Amino acid sequence: MKNKILLLTVLATALAGCSTQKKPQPMAPVEPPKPKIQEIVIDGVAGFQDTPMEPDGKWHVHDPARPQPPVVTPGTFSDNATPPSDAIVLFDGKDLSQWRDQKTGGDAPWKIEDGAMISDKDYIQTTNQFGDIQLHLEFKEPTPPNGDGQSRGNSGVFFMGQYEIQVLDCYNNKTYADGATAGIYGQHPALVNACRPPGEWQTYDIIFNVPHFGTNGEVLSPAYVTVIHNGVVAQNHQAIRGATNWRVPGKYTPHGPTGPLALQYHNNPVAFRNIWVRPVPVVDEP
Amino acid sequence: MKYTLFPLLLALVSGCCHLKTPASAAAPAGNEPIDGFTTTPMEADGKWHVHDPARPQPQVVTPGATFSHGAPPPSDAEVLFDGHGLAKWINARGTEANWKTHGDYVETAPNGGGIRTRGKWADFQLHVEWASPNPPHGTSQGRGNSGILINDMYEVQVLDSYQAKTYADGQAGAIYGQSPPLVNASKPPGEWQTYDILFESPRWNANGELVKKAVITVLHNGVVIQNHYELAGMTDGINAALPWKSLSKYPAPHAPEVFVELQDHKNPVRFRNLWIRPLHLGENL
Repeated sequence: MKNKILLLTVLATALAGCSTQKKPQPMAPVEPPKPKIQEIVIDGVAGFQDTPMEPDGKWHVHDPARPQPPVVTPGTFSDNATPPSDAIVLFDGKDLSQWRDQKTGGDAPWKIEDGAMISDKDYIQTTNQFGDIQLHLEFKEPTPPNGDGQSRGNSGVFFMGQYEIQVLDCYNNKTYADGATAGIYGQHPALVNACRPPGEWQTYDIIFNVPHFGTNGEVLSPAYVTVIHNGVVAQNHQAIRGATNWRVPGKYTPHGPTGPLALQYHNNPVAFRNIWVRPVPVVDEP
Repeated sequence: MKYTLFPLLLALVSGCCHLKTPASAAAPAGNEPIDGFTTTPMEADGKWHVHDPARPQPQVVTPGATFSHGAPPPSDAEVLFDGHGLAKWINARGTEANWKTHGDYVETAPNGGGIRTRGKWADFQLHVEWASPNPPHGTSQGRGNSGILINDMYEVQVLDSYQAKTYADGQAGAIYGQSPPLVNASKPPGEWQTYDILFESPRWNANGELVKKAVITVLHNGVVIQNHYELAGMTDGINAALPWKSLSKYPAPHAPEVFVELQDHKNPVRFRNLWIRPLHLGENL
């Protein structure tokens, strides 16, 4: 999720803040100095420790010291799985009619090549709104790989447009644990690293349950997510701490019961195919 | 599920008779009568009897042609059965596992006892493939009945529920006697079906108090049919600890490490490609 351009922008802003401190302009509005962003590397993992602590009190957001998920070599699993009869097909290799440019609302600016859609230019989101869903999607990282850490094949799956499951090429590529493949970005690392090599199709089978808010905006129940990555459980009904973001802990802002599914363009061309969702009925059990 | 067929038949007959009387508390849904019971205790939700024929039938969803069918095990999985013998299993009666293998599958030995793993796991991901007899034989609970019995206590039902009705909490993919599947994602008899099961063991503290219920998520042929369901306790009728048609409750404290058993329910059911891997949930528990 971390964006290089954003980093440069923030650094520039921080520097500008410094120069403002050195030479205050009497007529300019007084702005508090922006904190400087310090990326650090621990055991070959780039990340941050100048970020807030997670609520567990053990790790900073994007902490490079947080243990790496153990590597598990997956088998094939739900590759090319055909949709169940109650599924809505979001992409079957032919067109982007289910998607819109998230920023402009216009046509989705991604390309279609060989039956796959390739991330480009902007985030895209579904025309449909979804609540509790089961999602199947397949993705493929660029090969040969280009870039390191967060810059290698970065994309993401955003539920309700704001809760991200990371998409990244973490095959022989280390990054801070809460930003690795199948992580709840900035909050909860995957239980395992079940990545396939770049250039091979990978599967996500995800169960997402929406958060619920009270009349005063209080969180009655958080969002939950279960992620099976290439057939290996990477998140098991993990509570999400709120909207995911760069360098900040999750935070909830009350919203309605449904939202769009979004896929991220993060400067890297990541391929997606065979995307379908189906509602997961609400259980009437205690 | 249920281990003796004779009382089951008796009970089914009495259940059917019950349904014919207008005074019956619950009427069957649909055109044909559904076997079940209304003389059983109420579930904790206060809405349905255990094995209630009136409990709504799960909506039918036709699964995709394939999902995890034939999925090879991840590197950290233990292969329980891949067609090469039953070394990982013993008969539930304590003898050698006596089910017969045929190529890549093994078939229940009706009346020969279930088979259970020698290994035990606390929290795990289990992949199972099974097939009901074809042509089908029997109806309701007598049609291709088997089960995934966790620790001989917690059952995921295996049954031929393809165009075959039975009480909702006893269908394929039900947590037997407790939680019907969210949908009926059954494939026709004779076709291979997959269960991908995520199980969290129950936990008790040193004082013997239950501090965490057993939890289960099940994908049936790639369709989510149990979504992090918290079990009310043991399954009725697996063994003498909780008689059939009783309200579920938790057993005396047991270790989190549990075995997996394939049930012998006197019907020939086939299994193949079974593997299991531990879930190291740590702080997530």
